[in-house]
Amino acid sequence: MHIPDGFIDGKTAAAAAVLSVTGVGFALKRVRLELPPRKVPLLGLAAAFLFVAQMVNFPVAGGTSGHLVGGTLVAALLGPSAAVVVVTTVLIIQCFLFQDGGVISLGANVFNMAIVNSVIGYAIYRIVSHWLPGARGRIAALAFAAWCATVLAAMGCAGQLAWSGTIPWTAAFPAMTTVHMLIGLGEGLISAMVFAAISRARPDLVIESNEAGPQERAGELVLYGLLITLGIALFIAPFACSWPDGLDSVAEKFGISHRIAAALLPAPAPDYQIPGIHWAVGATALAGVAGALIVFGLALGLGRLLVPKTRNGVPGNQANP
Amino acid sequence: MSIDWLRHQHGHPDSPLHSLPAELKLGFGFGVILVTVLAPIEWSTWFICAALGLGVTALLSRLPLLFLSRRLLALSPFVLGVVLVNAFEPAGRGHWLAVSVKSVLCLLTVILVSNTTPFSQILRALKFIRIPALLITTIALMHRYLFVLMEESERMRRARASRTFKRGQRFHWRLLATIVSQLFIRASERAERIYDAMCARGWK
Amino acid sequence: MSPAIEVSDLRYRYHDGTEALRGLCFRIEPGECVALLGPNGSGKSTILLHLNGILPDRLPGDGTVKILGVPVAAAALEAIRRQVGLVFQDPDDQLFCPTVQEDVAFGPEQMGLDKSQVAARVLRSLAQVGLSGFGHRATHHLSHGEKRRVCLAGVLACEPSILVLDEPTSDLDPRGRREFKALLRGISATKLIATHDLEMAVELCARAIVIDRGQVVADGRTVELLNNEPLMFAHGLERPHILQHFHPESPAAG
Repeated sequence: MHIPDGFIDGKTAAAAAVLSVTGVGFALKRVRLELPPRKVPLLGLAAAFLFVAQMVNFPVAGGTSGHLVGGTLVAALLGPSAAVVVVTTVLIIQCFLFQDGGVISLGANVFNMAIVNSVIGYAIYRIVSHWLPGARGRIAALAFAAWCATVLAAMGCAGQLAWSGTIPWTAAFPAMTTVHMLIGLGEGLISAMVFAAISRARPDLVIESNEAGPQERAGELVLYGLLITLGIALFIAPFACSWPDGLDSVAEKFGISHRIAAALLPAPAPDYQIPGIHWAVGATALAGVAGALIVFGLALGLGRLLVPKTRNGVPGNQANP
Repeated sequence: MSIDWLRHQHGHPDSPLHSLPAELKLGFGFGVILVTVLAPIEWSTWFICAALGLGVTALLSRLPLLFLSRRLLALSPFVLGVVLVNAFEPAGRGHWLAVSVKSVLCLLTVILVSNTTPFSQILRALKFIRIPALLITTIALMHRYLFVLMEESERMRRARASRTFKRGQRFHWRLLATIVSQLFIRASERAERIYDAMCARGWK
Repeated sequence: MSPAIEVSDLRYRYHDGTEALRGLCFRIEPGECVALLGPNGSGKSTILLHLNGILPDRLPGDGTVKILGVPVAAAALEAIRRQVGLVFQDPDDQLFCPTVQEDVAFGPEQMGLDKSQVAARVLRSLAQVGLSGFGHRATHHLSHGEKRRVCLAGVLACEPSILVLDEPTSDLDPRGRREFKALLRGISATKLIATHDLEMAVELCARAIVIDRGQVVADGRTVELLNNEPLMFAHGLERPHILQHFHPESPAAG
């Protein structure tokens, strides 16, 4: 999902960059406040870990393979702000050293993969693991959260491509979302398996991120939520509803040239469809909802699979068995 | 993934491009990318000049041609995607041309700059544009320990492979998940030792 | 004159409750070069980490550690870490900066020296370890022997009066070992070297302390201890070949 340079235009890149700089700046401040000095090197090492982990090939049928992206996993292990910093670091190095993802597009990539992926993944993980108790609940929550985060990040990416005019929304949204609903399955599965293995070997590493009080976390998540909502307003909402039309007429009233307005505003509800597939967007949205329910069920099963019950009926994954 | 792929610096260290100051290369490269992204495709003069200029620079850098073409080819799935989708749209031809040309030129610029500039200088440039210290430290540590972790993961994989006799996807996935989890645990433990080493030399 | 290092009744438990150190006592006088010997798991690294206050997690711990007469306490840590230079077992843990120059400069910079003083110390230390001109090299591209020497340079740049080394020659090839030993011989600080390299212990250290299961089991002249085969075998060590084939008087400086 690393967008190369040239695939998004100036205004999209600028908007995404502003959102990202704000988000990462906030994350750095939170990390400086929350993280004990002892853990500072862990940020860099976690970033190196993530990069190397992303290269591991998980073979799927027919010669293809899955890879971990890991934003949600890192968020579950280190907290949302640390995860934002870690994933941003990975993206910066990938961009400058390995030319994976563009320089101007870095803002968009950071927004999608560092902020949306990690923060939404973390929020869903915490909410769901609050309902589903115990070690199994955590695993199931992580699997489901990782899937959701992958799909939502893909939607952000699709929106950015559409706002730039590179690919129309009616093609970008179904394509990116459906593909990532499949990819997200791998992400959820691998994240859960790795998390389960870490919990078994070093439960102390896992418990820490769940220590932050609900109040602090809520405050933190509110700011990220604002940024993400802004992002949705810019990159997704215009295609899902018709407010650009409204904005266009307002611009006209104020005498702003139609051409300038058209260049800046997202394309209004498109009149161009891929031949024969005019229901793609609606169908994808429905598939997404159905998919979420199915994946949630699968995640519950995965929790049961990965965390065996011990003899006295307690899931064998507590800190002091 | 072999460790060699991770070595991002190629070419002869004594090429004219390598010896240029980093600030010049980074600033100029960024400028080229910015203009290329913002320029409408109608400005053919810019794109032709940029292509020629980058071609000459590529020659000057003495980077292996095979290496350059392979990296540029990595763009093809993205470009293909855009081409396919826009093939149905009557006005779409402009789109895919713009996207292909821009992405290739921008990628070539980044490849040339990053492969002829030592990482410590890139870090210094980031410090110069006021990137916060915590992020710089994190980037520096990530770069420093990338190869260490890469080698650890290779060793683990080889050791496990030497004792693997079963076949089967599920077993394989469990193995890989264990390796990844071990990588994280070892990374955490190493981070603690690094902290101790930093304190031992007076870090506050 | 107070001893360089004075350890009394030092005790320590790991996080899982196992006793690592059980009432250790020893003294090291300024200028001495002492080998710390013992089987794996005897607690050698744990002892070394107590000498500059990295362990225990919360000071003061159980027992006393005094460096040049000053007890290791939270308030004195900065001064103590200037006097005690600790070279870690894994050079990758210690070499955390991107270039050699930056890593060797780290200590002096933390000490608050100005740019020219830092630069001078870096040049001096690199020359001391035979790596002049390596300043611009990336740390992750160095060979294992070079990494170990840069670690030593980084510690020497702080100009400590006490040098503490944790297995400095493990993983080195014979030439690397020879070169490193020659380097150590040329450094005039008080030295405490935890090592499995018994030949180096004989060559460099007049005195040896043998640790097993968290306690001192022997403390005396290196040659005498290493010639004592029952003692050696009882504590996971052996009589090195250098003593089997040469006269027991070691070539070590007194």
